[in-house]
Amino acid sequence: MSGDRSGDATDVVPDGGTVTEETAGGSGGSALAGLRERDDFVVVAMAAALVVFPFLLIDILGAVGDVIGISIGGYSGLPSLVLIYGIIVIGFNLLLGYTGLLSFGHAAFFGSAAYAAGLFSQVVPSPILMVIAGTIVATLLAWPIGFVSIRRSGVYFAVLTLTFGQALYFYALGPGSWLTNGDNGFSGIEADGLFVGAVPLDAQLIPVFDSYTVMYAFTAVVMLIAVWVGNRIINSPYGLIFEALGENEERVEFVGLNVFRYKLMAFIISAVFAGVGGAMFAIHEQYIHPTTGLYWIQSGDFVIMTVLGGTGSLVGPVFGALVFEYVANVISGVSLPMIGSIGSMWRFVLGAVFVFIVWVFPRGIYGAFSDLAAMLNGGSGGDGDKPAAADGGERE
Amino acid sequence: MSLLRTDGLTKQFGGLVAVDEVSFEVDSGETRAVIGPNGAGKSTLINCITGALEPTAGTVEFDGQDITALEPHETVQAGVSKSFQTASIFPEMTVRENVEIAALASEHGSFSFDFLKRLSGFGAVHDITDRMLESVELLGDADVEAASLPYGDKRRLEIAIALASEPELLLMDEPTAGMSPDETAATVDLVEQLQEDLDLTILIVEHDMEIIFRIADRILVLNRGQVIADGTPEQVQESDEVQEAYLGGVEL
Repeated sequence: MSGDRSGDATDVVPDGGTVTEETAGGSGGSALAGLRERDDFVVVAMAAALVVFPFLLIDILGAVGDVIGISIGGYSGLPSLVLIYGIIVIGFNLLLGYTGLLSFGHAAFFGSAAYAAGLFSQVVPSPILMVIAGTIVATLLAWPIGFVSIRRSGVYFAVLTLTFGQALYFYALGPGSWLTNGDNGFSGIEADGLFVGAVPLDAQLIPVFDSYTVMYAFTAVVMLIAVWVGNRIINSPYGLIFEALGENEERVEFVGLNVFRYKLMAFIISAVFAGVGGAMFAIHEQYIHPTTGLYWIQSGDFVIMTVLGGTGSLVGPVFGALVFEYVANVISGVSLPMIGSIGSMWRFVLGAVFVFIVWVFPRGIYGAFSDLAAMLNGGSGGDGDKPAAADGGERE
Repeated sequence: MSLLRTDGLTKQFGGLVAVDEVSFEVDSGETRAVIGPNGAGKSTLINCITGALEPTAGTVEFDGQDITALEPHETVQAGVSKSFQTASIFPEMTVRENVEIAALASEHGSFSFDFLKRLSGFGAVHDITDRMLESVELLGDADVEAASLPYGDKRRLEIAIALASEPELLLMDEPTAGMSPDETAATVDLVEQLQEDLDLTILIVEHDMEIIFRIADRILVLNRGQVIADGTPEQVQESDEVQEAYLGGVEL
């Protein structure tokens, strides 16, 4: 695996080949430098993946679809949508996978950030400021909801978060209509371009490939920031403490750590990610309805994506978001001989995929990949529950 | 000089008085044992000291500070740490990470906003971790998943976690429960060694009388929540009340 890593690093840093090699060689013996290398690796690998992602999803799959006669390629907005959900589930996994807290109410933060961003756009349509505004609202909301919900654990915690989420849903649908436009939905969210409107979001970056829009680049940059922050968190004391909380909460209290405050921080941090994603979603879809923004099924979808991708790693859930959105948006449009159009039956397909993955690969899609990689590498590295350990563990 | 002092400590569960006006002191540097028949209130006493249970009445004073109302994590931060009766570890984390988390808590306090700071940059945490792993002879297994350790090693890891909090007073709840005779002997040696090396004060709850009489400087005997004897092993051994509590008043 370390071979892949140095390859990526040289690819991404032009003219930096020699420098990279020197650094890698010089720090090879030090465990501390090894950790730093690992930090960079996840972000660099994600950057490389983001560059080719729309090409693979749309152009390559589209070409394959043309050959086999079934349209399996994505549409141009899909890569951004996958990344938006990816950002959310990276944060959600810090709560579910690491801290072991199952929230069924994260639509509350997603949806409120989406509405806040939409409302903010009526005043200042700057996409960056919309994201900031939405995230602030989600964060402020997470504090009281977390404060109350964290006091209970297990099923009670899940139901409390569910209740708060549903309360917001019904508020947005009825009494809050003056803000949200109720069941008619909040439409007309038009974000200006980036850099004081200079660069429109739908402008194309590369002439031939129409999926490489400014919006995609914007989403990709936010995703990179999310991965970088998430990676810093799991390599900080919080990473260790969150994992410990998931395993033995009582012991964490008895080593002298304030369990309540750390769980609350895990909750708030995950809500920040959900808020960023919610605001991006509002920019992307230009429309929010209480059902897409705040309904409990949205919260459940975050759980499904996270478990599908794999809870044991930082970026694993992103694969879950990819498969989920692919099934929801592409497979749903597929028409098969004998069976006919899949349409709204896509939830059955997703259910089948989910059962298959959870049955065969209990550690999710990412877990299956890392097991496969370990097998190809001759059986080493299979111990890695965490991506950092699995991807950059051994150095030759 | 007394490091820990309880005064009239009482814990009632409904009609049951589990701990009944227990007043005792633990002196700095001594090994203090608490013994008593099943249900005597030993664990409840320990739980009232750590803050896991809130006493109905009475006070707990540690190092001149009233710690009666503190939460468990605050009690640990004050300098009282506990090793559990069953190995309470983090099974899916490595042995090193198990100890690191306690070392971290003693280094940066009960809460901090350092979520963007690299853990690898906490030099002192790694130093404490290595030292504690070495003193319980688990340094060689540092990168092993804790769940895969043999039972005796898990219990020693448990002790290392408690020690990494850098306590002045270590509460040990039956450290040899469920151990083989060999493991028991090794653990007793370890406790004596640690006390010497780390200048610890130990309050130990134990069933095994042989161990108690070997390592304890003073023994507190509880029966039905009440103190029935308190003194040196010799004094306790000669006490009629202790004989009666343990043998149920059977004429010998």
